[in-house]
Parts: sequence; structure tokens; C-alpha cells
Amino acid sequence: MRLLLIEDYRPLQKSLGKGLREAGFAVDTTGDGNEGLWYAMSNDYDVIILDLMLPGMDGLQILKELRAKGRKNPVLVLTAKDTLEDRVTGLDLGADDYLVKPFEFKELLARIRALMRRRYQEKRPCIKVKDLRLDLAAQRVWRGREEVQLTPREYALLEYLAMRAGQTVSRIDIWEHVYEFNSSASSNVVDVYIGYLRRKIERPDRPPLIRTVRGRGYILGAQS
Amino acid sequence: MRSLRTRLLVGIIGGMMLLLLVFSVIVYTVIRRALLNQFDASLTATARILAASVEYDDDEVELELDVQMMPGFQSLERPAYYQFWQHDGTVVAKSPSLGTDDLLLFEGSLGVPVFQVLQTRSGQPGRAVGLKFKPRSDGRDDEQQPAKQRTLTLVVAHDAGDLYHHLRFLRWLLVIASVGIISLSFLVAAFVVRRGLSPLNSLAAQIAAVREDDLTTRITAEHMPAEVVPIRKQLNDLLSRLEASFNRERRFTADVAHELRTPLAGMRSTLEVTLARMRDVNEYQTSLSDCLAISKNMQAMVDNLLAFARIDAHQMTFHPAQIQLAELVNSCWQGFSDEARQRSIVFENRIPAEMTCQSDPESLSMALSNLLDNAVEYSNEAGQIWTTGRQADDSVEITVANTGCRLTNEQVSQVFDCFWRGDSSRTNTGVHCGLGLAMVQRIIKALGGHTTVEVQNGGIFTVRLTLPDSLRT
Repeated sequence: MRLLLIEDYRPLQKSLGKGLREAGFAVDTTGDGNEGLWYAMSNDYDVIILDLMLPGMDGLQILKELRAKGRKNPVLVLTAKDTLEDRVTGLDLGADDYLVKPFEFKELLARIRALMRRRYQEKRPCIKVKDLRLDLAAQRVWRGREEVQLTPREYALLEYLAMRAGQTVSRIDIWEHVYEFNSSASSNVVDVYIGYLRRKIERPDRPPLIRTVRGRGYILGAQS
Repeated sequence: MRSLRTRLLVGIIGGMMLLLLVFSVIVYTVIRRALLNQFDASLTATARILAASVEYDDDEVELELDVQMMPGFQSLERPAYYQFWQHDGTVVAKSPSLGTDDLLLFEGSLGVPVFQVLQTRSGQPGRAVGLKFKPRSDGRDDEQQPAKQRTLTLVVAHDAGDLYHHLRFLRWLLVIASVGIISLSFLVAAFVVRRGLSPLNSLAAQIAAVREDDLTTRITAEHMPAEVVPIRKQLNDLLSRLEASFNRERRFTADVAHELRTPLAGMRSTLEVTLARMRDVNEYQTSLSDCLAISKNMQAMVDNLLAFARIDAHQMTFHPAQIQLAELVNSCWQGFSDEARQRSIVFENRIPAEMTCQSDPESLSMALSNLLDNAVEYSNEAGQIWTTGRQADDSVEITVANTGCRLTNEQVSQVFDCFWRGDSSRTNTGVHCGLGLAMVQRIIKALGGHTTVEVQNGGIFTVRLTLPDSLRT
């Protein structure tokens, strides 16, 4: 899952970026409003975390521009302003959620996950694909009764596939949602991670869960 | 007498009582005098008739009047009396109604009636007139008789019980009428005063309805008499001023909270993310030094806020001294020279070395430091900062200017607002929390001077301080 963090206060940007990456998200960060809008327009982020007071372009202005241009990506507004008018203005301009500084990091994570579930029409905190089970809140995975240990990156990849279970997901989509903007993209990085994932979740005695659709991408949990 | 109602009532009733008293006394006096005059006139008329009926005939006094014709002198009911005396005091004649008694002899000058109050035989109050007169003579020459011996004195008295009774009745009538009027007017006045003062009650009710947490309410002018309108206006003005002041305070508190929240959020998320898992020593070190830096910034911010609050609350004490301005600016610059050097900013102090000013060194130093800090913060890379000084008659003018200003002229007017920053990229850098110029303005004002700012072409931002040469404390 790929996030955009637009926050100009360096210590907050740094620590949130680190924490979110460790939680398995692909995170792009910027401290400038104009740059933030450019990022948001050029990628289909799963959640955009937006500070309101920004240099270059105000957070509310970014939100307005995004919505005006038809971008429906979930936006979580982070701000130190906590008056009712501020909240109402933010939500009216199309923010999906609101968090007042200072906040607990766990709460931020929970809200980001909730926004993602909503985005993928997934209200349950658990996704089941055949006998594969993902607990989205705890970020744990079971195959049958056996828990599967995944790295955050592997988990992120599996979660994205699970959210779109039954659909063909292109390599570009995967790359865009699981990898950071700034990371060096080698053409087969997605294939390599799919390989890691297969090794961990597939069972020789059962039909494969991840299928390659030649020339198009991958599909999780479809009938062969 | 705190109550307006009591005061009005006492005033009205007291005034009424005084007026009624004066009125009654005048009415009584006039009527009494008129009645007495009338009574006395009738006594005098009787006396003159009696006098006219007396004739001297050879030293004999003859009363030609037939007393039978004047029944008053005989009646026992409300009788009248008369008595004549010769000048030597011998009684010449008296009315039958006197019986054996005598009237008291009294007289004025010849032909002028004088009056007296007396008690009549019947025990009633009466009035008497004494008249000294020359009776008619029978026409013969009385040369040998001295004129004096020929005068007679007549006293006529009449029972005046009725008169005094009427006067007494009049007195009581006036007293009772006055008491009645006073009582009635008390009721009327109480009602009128209550009605008249009812706008005050409604004003009080409206004031009571003003809540301290909602100062947007205003007192309405409905049914307010003209006298209460200025009070209403003043109260509303007061409410407006209070509201503005409360709003300012609220905004300031909100701004302070906002300024403190961002670094707090940074510190909290740094700590939480770090504590989320086991890390190596280097990572812990980085996180801790990040948090230390944040806490230092927050401390500086709190210090600034406290200084600001003190200035705002006029809690500054001044110790005026003769200040060498150029020297003071140089010593203030010490704190910023390193940062300026790093960014290749050139500083030039153009204040004449001999220029002095009588002011408070500590406050002025605080203001100058803030200005220099601001100049360094907002100057461009390799920019310039300079200070100038100019002595006028009774004031000094100090300017602090820097290059690299990107503010428009409209924005310049906002620089004195608390927490305003020309470029929000300066947000949350911690130390510069947008109080600097607001603080300078307040310090200079407290020192009796004023502050102006301007932006010239080419991005030269100038702050001009005008200070009185002598500080009034």
C-alpha cells in the first residue's frame, strides 16, 4: 500500500515516514505544498496524509485542487488546528479523516488502515482467500491453521493482491502501490517479491494461490 | 437611600408636603384675614353709627340711638356690647347686654379704630373695636371747654365664636385635605415611579442574560426611554470591547496551542516510532538527539511566549540609562554573527559611534535582538543587513534593514500580528514562532516610541524605531 506524506515539520516527517515504512507501507514524503500536489497528481496513492499549514501551497488548497481534478484518493488531514470550523472546513473540502496533533502513532496507523479498507470496499478487518487468511489490523497471515511469517514488504504485496482478490493486477499497479516513488525500480523487482511470497504461502499439496497471467500480471485466488 | 425608587418617592412626597403646607398656610391666612377684616369692618360700622348718635348737650352725653332698634345689644345669644367713656374714664353709657360688667377700655388716636380680641361674658371669644371720637355738640359755643375734654371713647364688642369656629373648621379641613392628598399622591407616585423605572428592570434583566461565555449578545433598545439609551449604548460598547478582547485572547491561546502542538507531535511520534521495536544504539542516539533538538526549540518558544505575555501585561520595569546605541547594536549582533557568517550575510552597523539615547538598555536590547534575529532569518543567502541611526530634536530613529524580502506591501501591514509569518515555510521552525515583530512593537510602545515597517524595491525590508530621547517612567 502506497502512501503520500505531506508534512513540512522535519522531525515529524522523518519519524512518521520511518514508522509507516516499518509498518509495511510504501511512503513518499515531501515538505512542500506544490511538490505534494504534483506527487498526488502523478500517482494513485492509497492514502494521502496531509498537513494543513505548508509552505508553497496550503494543505486545504491542495485538497481543493485534488478534488477539483477528480482525484478520489483518501485524504487524512493532520493538523494542529483543532477548532470546530477548521475540522468542518477540512471535511467539507473533501478530507476523509482528521487527526489533531499531537496524536498516537498507532491511531494514525489504524485510521490509515480503515481508509484503505474503505477504498477497497473491504469493511472486515480480515480477508479470506480460500484457506489464506489476512488479519489487516494485526498484519498477520495464516495458511490454513499455520501462521505465515512475512516481511513488511511481502505482507504489503500480499495485502494489495488480497484486496483485489480475483482480479488481474498488473506489475505497474503493484509497483505503484507497494514501492516508494524514490526507490530505484528494477524491472523485475515485482517478480522477485512474488517469488518470495509464493515460496512462503504456497503449499505443494494444494492448488497455487497466486497465478501468473502472461503479459498482464498476477491474480490471487482465482479458479485455474 | 440607595434605591432610585425610594429617592424619587421621598422627593416627590416631601415636595408635595412642603407645597401643600405652604399652600394651606397661605389659604388659611388669606381667608382668616378676609373674615376678620369683614368682621372688624362690621364692628367699626356699628361703632361709627353709635358714635354718630352721641351728642354733647351741656356737658351731658346724650345717646340718641334707640337701643331697641339694635337687638344685638340686648340679646343673650351671640350678644353685642358697647360702652362709652368720657376722657376722664367715667362711664357714660353701656349696652344692656353688659349687665353689671364693664368692657375693657382701650383706644387709639382720635377717629382711628383699634381692635382687640377679648373674652365675652358668655365665655365666647369676641372681638372689640375701640374708637376715640368727638361727639357732635348741640351747636352752642363751648369755648371754655378744652377740646380734649370733649372726646369720648367707645368700645364695641361682638361675640366672634362663629368666626373662630369657622376658622377652626377651615384649619381642620386643610389638614385633612392635605393628608388625603398626600396619601393619594403617595399611591399614585409609587405606581408612576414603578412604571417609570420598569425600563431599568428590563435593562437589568437583559444585562443579567449576558453570559460570560457568549459575549455576542447585545442589549436591545425595545421600549427603552431616551434616558436609558446612552446607558444601553455604553453597555453595548463595553460588551463589544470585551468581546474583541476575549476573542483576541482566545485566538492567542489557540495560536499558542497550535505552535506548541506541532513540535509536541514531532517529539511524540519520534519516540513512539523508536519504541515500536528493538533498535541498535545509533538509531536510539539519532532519535534522542532529534527529541533534544525539539525540546530546545520548544523551550525557546516558551521563553518567547513568557516574555511576550509579560510585555503585554505591562509587567516590565524600566531602568533608564544613557545608551551608546552603536555599542548596543554591536553587542546584540554577537548572538547572530555565526549564523550570518555561515550564510555569507554581510552586516554593517552605520549608527554613528557618538549617538546616545536615554532609554531602558535591557528592553531596547531585547527589541534590537529580535529585529536582528528576524533580519538574519529572512535575509537571502549572501544578503546584507545594516542598521542606521539618526538624532532628531527630542527623539532618535533607529532602522534595521535586510535584503531578500519577498513580502508584498499588503503583507507588510500584517507583520506585527502575532504568529503571522510572511512565508509559511518558516512554520514551526521552533524559535521563530512569529512573535518577534509583535514583541518589538510592544516593547517600543512601552518605551514611549513607535515602530514602522516598509518594503522598498529590490526586497529591502526596513523596520524603523522612533524612540523619545528621554524615557518617562
